[in-house]
Amino acid sequence: MKNFLIAILALLAVLTVSAVFVVSEGERGIVFQFKKIKRDSATGEMLVFEPGLHFKLPLVESVRKFDARIQTLDEAPDRFVTAEKKDLMVDSFVKWRIVDFSTYYLRTSGSIENAQALLKQKVNNGLRTEFGARTIKEIVSGDRDAIMSKAQESAASSQDDLGIEVIDVRIKAINLPTEVSNSIYERMRAERTAVAKEHRSQGQEQSEIIRATIDAKVTVMLATAQKEALEIRGEGDALAAKVYADSYKKDPEFFNFFRSLEAYEKSFNSKSDVMVVKPDSDFFHYLKDSAKAGK
Amino acid sequence: MAWNEPGNNDKDPWKNKGGSNQGPPDLDDLLKDLGQKVSGVFGGKPSGSGGSGKSFSSVGIILAVIIAALVYAFSGFYTIKEAEQGIVLRFGQYAGTEDPGLRWKWTFIERIIPVDMQTTRDLPAAGFMLTQDENVVRVEMQVQYRVVDARNYVFSVTDADDSLSQSLDSALRYVVGHAAMDDILTSGRETIRQSVWEELEKIIEPYNLGLIVVDVNFKDARPPEEVKDAFDDAISAQEDEVRFLREAEAYARGIEPRARGRVKRMEQEAIAYKEQTILDAEGAVARFEKILPEYQAAPEVTRQRMYLTAMEKVYSNTSKVMVDVEGGNNMMYLPLDKIIQQQGSAPRVIPQATTGLSQAPVSTNTKPSTSGRSDRFSSGRN
Repeated sequence: MKNFLIAILALLAVLTVSAVFVVSEGERGIVFQFKKIKRDSATGEMLVFEPGLHFKLPLVESVRKFDARIQTLDEAPDRFVTAEKKDLMVDSFVKWRIVDFSTYYLRTSGSIENAQALLKQKVNNGLRTEFGARTIKEIVSGDRDAIMSKAQESAASSQDDLGIEVIDVRIKAINLPTEVSNSIYERMRAERTAVAKEHRSQGQEQSEIIRATIDAKVTVMLATAQKEALEIRGEGDALAAKVYADSYKKDPEFFNFFRSLEAYEKSFNSKSDVMVVKPDSDFFHYLKDSAKAGK
Repeated sequence: MAWNEPGNNDKDPWKNKGGSNQGPPDLDDLLKDLGQKVSGVFGGKPSGSGGSGKSFSSVGIILAVIIAALVYAFSGFYTIKEAEQGIVLRFGQYAGTEDPGLRWKWTFIERIIPVDMQTTRDLPAAGFMLTQDENVVRVEMQVQYRVVDARNYVFSVTDADDSLSQSLDSALRYVVGHAAMDDILTSGRETIRQSVWEELEKIIEPYNLGLIVVDVNFKDARPPEEVKDAFDDAISAQEDEVRFLREAEAYARGIEPRARGRVKRMEQEAIAYKEQTILDAEGAVARFEKILPEYQAAPEVTRQRMYLTAMEKVYSNTSKVMVDVEGGNNMMYLPLDKIIQQQGSAPRVIPQATTGLSQAPVSTNTKPSTSGRSDRFSSGRN
């Protein structure tokens, strides 16, 4: 009796539990009746259960839940070839969301891995086409939006194919292969070297200009000063000459005599001046003969 | 068990085993719980004898129900931290949020997901990227953000933080790819920062992340190590440019005043010379003018006196060699250099034959020596 009660209770509990199901926020549920997707009897539309508590027939119906949130497809960087036949490692990501749950379930057998693999192929095809038609420069600084929107367009068909809506395709990173980056580094170095040289030369140019200007200025200053000095000296000489002449005109003969004596004194005034003299000059007039009269 | 249908990929429909997200309220646990309680009351403690068994078991059931109700009531209490908001899911469905404090929920029916709404989180983004002028720079940025909409933060994207991080990567590279390297490294940092912010907002808008970007920080931008030396050199070249300029200015400032000084000196010297020359002239003239009247008064005597005085001075201050020979003798030898030397050290009377192996006899009344050379040294008389 007791055991029977327990069994009944347990059965009731089990039935209750298997007759309800809960769809959580961020998911959607699909109900299968004997493995067939349950549809709205009126419209034939597939029934998608929103978050909340729902009922189903125990044992007859089963529930499949799908993530309805926006998902991210972020694979390892992939190798692309550009228009100039160079390799680029491009890291992109795709934001997608399931919109058509029945298609999604049918095409991908409900596994996210399958969906992502299919989506990735589609997106990469789009990207490959776009990259192949552009140079590195166009890819990097050209219209990245165009590349992204093209990739998005090519992935848009996935809505019909997979029941997936592609919300966004974005390039995260573009990495250059070593040989390309090496040549870029070389060029950067060369550019910098040129800039450095230019700066130094400009500095020297300015410096040279300043120095030359000031040197010229100084030279002119000194020359002008020299000229003025000579003029002043000349004035002095002229005035002196005038003074001399005015005075000496009074007796030129005496001036000659007077000035000559002065000159003799000045020129023969050191012991290293050796004079070899004959004793017959006026000065030695009395040296030999004191009695000599007159001259 | 019958309800565990095979063919559903081995998942109980209501247990949601292996699902990435939290399943519905755990009815399984409830079942176990009930089962335990039931067995605890009924089978767990079998009352010994049958008579009082019924009444005892009914009391037991009431007790068990009360206890179960109490346990259930207590299990419903929970707290939300000050910085958090709790998302309430009722049967998995969003049913609003709860504010911080002590709260109560219907266990098994409601589920609470606490979300930190206050803490400002940050995400870094860094890497080497290409610029518009095809250079490579390493840029480091950091975005600070906060959750503003807990529901979107949890339920709109699988991983909101990761989505933001990816969007930041994309935005950063997009902006850097459309900017020139010099702008990134120097002047245009603020512009870059703003553009990245705008771009990031634009990217995350359709995702409904429930996040708000509070700030974007431009942390660092530098050229790659491989070209660092060249960049450093370019910078030091700028410094050099300024240095050359300053040195030239210093040179100019040093040389100009000195030149002005020299100009002044030359001017002063010239003026001094002029004054001096004139004064000299005036002095000489004054002397002459003083003597002239005396001379004119007694020309002969004055003339003779002046001549003698002057000659006396001349002869007393110089070395003399007197040659008293009629007609030259070209054998005569005058060691003039020796004489000069000796005169330089000590005054000596000449002639004097003390030293000298071949000292020429230079005295009066010696053998006549006439030389053309000696004539040259004779003081010319007119």
